[in-house]
Amino acid sequence: MPDAAGYHFEPGFIAHHLGELGSGLLRTLAISSIGMAGALLVGVLLGAISSLRIPVARHLITVYVEVFRNTPLLVQIFFLYFALPDIGLQFEGFTVGWLSLLLWGGAYNVENFRAGFEAVEGGYVEACRALGFSRPAAFRHVTLPLGARIALPSVTNILISVFKNSSFMVAISYPELTDTAVNIVAVSFRVFEMFLAIGVIYLGLVWLMSLGAGAVERHYAIPGGH
Amino acid sequence: MAPWVGPVASYLATGLRETALLALACVAASLLAGTLVGSVLTLPSRAVRAPARVYVEIWRGLPIIIILYFIFFVLPIIGLRVDTFGAAVIGLSLWGSANVAEVVRGAVQSVPRGQAEAAAALGFSWTGRMRYVLLPQAARRALPPLIGLVVNLIQQTSLAAVIGLLDILEASQRSIERLTLSGGSSHAVPILGAVLAVYFVICLPLTMLSRWYERRLH
Repeated sequence: MPDAAGYHFEPGFIAHHLGELGSGLLRTLAISSIGMAGALLVGVLLGAISSLRIPVARHLITVYVEVFRNTPLLVQIFFLYFALPDIGLQFEGFTVGWLSLLLWGGAYNVENFRAGFEAVEGGYVEACRALGFSRPAAFRHVTLPLGARIALPSVTNILISVFKNSSFMVAISYPELTDTAVNIVAVSFRVFEMFLAIGVIYLGLVWLMSLGAGAVERHYAIPGGH
Repeated sequence: MAPWVGPVASYLATGLRETALLALACVAASLLAGTLVGSVLTLPSRAVRAPARVYVEIWRGLPIIIILYFIFFVLPIIGLRVDTFGAAVIGLSLWGSANVAEVVRGAVQSVPRGQAEAAAALGFSWTGRMRYVLLPQAARRALPPLIGLVVNLIQQTSLAAVIGLLDILEASQRSIERLTLSGGSSHAVPILGAVLAVYFVICLPLTMLSRWYERRLH
């Protein structure tokens, strides 16, 4: 049916391009999942080092966190893709995709985990030490499980952002979902069909991830605890 | 100083001016619209809240670059002639206002219930309760996350380069291209490094301000 501007919405157009969108989605999921897993790992490890106040390492981590949190992800992507080849580091789109997401999400998660670990009451760790636990053992058995639970909501938020921000790779023409859709729009002008399709895919996956995050939070909630 | 530095620096400065204007427009529009939508989200009537909820879920849930592209492609189709700057303001502000709305809703609902009830008992209307009792108290709690959102918005303005706005990032890209075409080195490391540094110098103080204010609240 034509609307006021004479636009004819053709649902068949989406069906016709499902194959292309599917391969775009697979690339989106590939770079997102590596980026999310990496951001989680970097966050826990560096967050732990940071909260244990290990000298020098802790300051280097602060520099990493502040640089990545206070500059735009898109400029970081451009730096990895366009600038690093000048100093002999040539990465392809796929590598820049997961690496930039990992570094960006990791920086935010370091802060999230550090804050979580530091929010664990000092008395617990002191009690552990009094019972003869070594410092690493006290961290492993008390600070980590409690602090990670405190950090969980903000960490899952960042992981969802990592997934959404995988769409930034359209800027370096890596053929993930957004890039695929934008290229189809550029030659067909089927704006509403394509954006409806990818909008539903992104919103649906974000919604599923939030549901999953909520389930994980409930599963690990301490009964009657904070 | 190498001869390429001068022209590139002044080109980046023009881009930075565009970035600053875009950031100002987006921050103002997002705060204004977001406070309005966020206030609606605290209304008792579910029917009134529903459209605001849909607005927030859509524009917060979608990747920001998709909103930007969508607006950029759709405006001409529905007959609105807006330049790239206007499209960027609209796209970024849809995303920004949805996020501000969530912060405002959370902050208003964190004000103890008795405050609103007492104001209602004193005869304040809803607008009076919001204007004189709830929003001023909520503002203090909302400030640190709002500053964080402003930092985020400033950074997201760089996405306007993708739809062709000549901001600082696009200026850097064009400089790199020009230097490469003229046969020499692209100088991409110092040029993109400078862009990163500019954003860092603008955003770090704001991030620190937000953190300082957050600590002061507790």
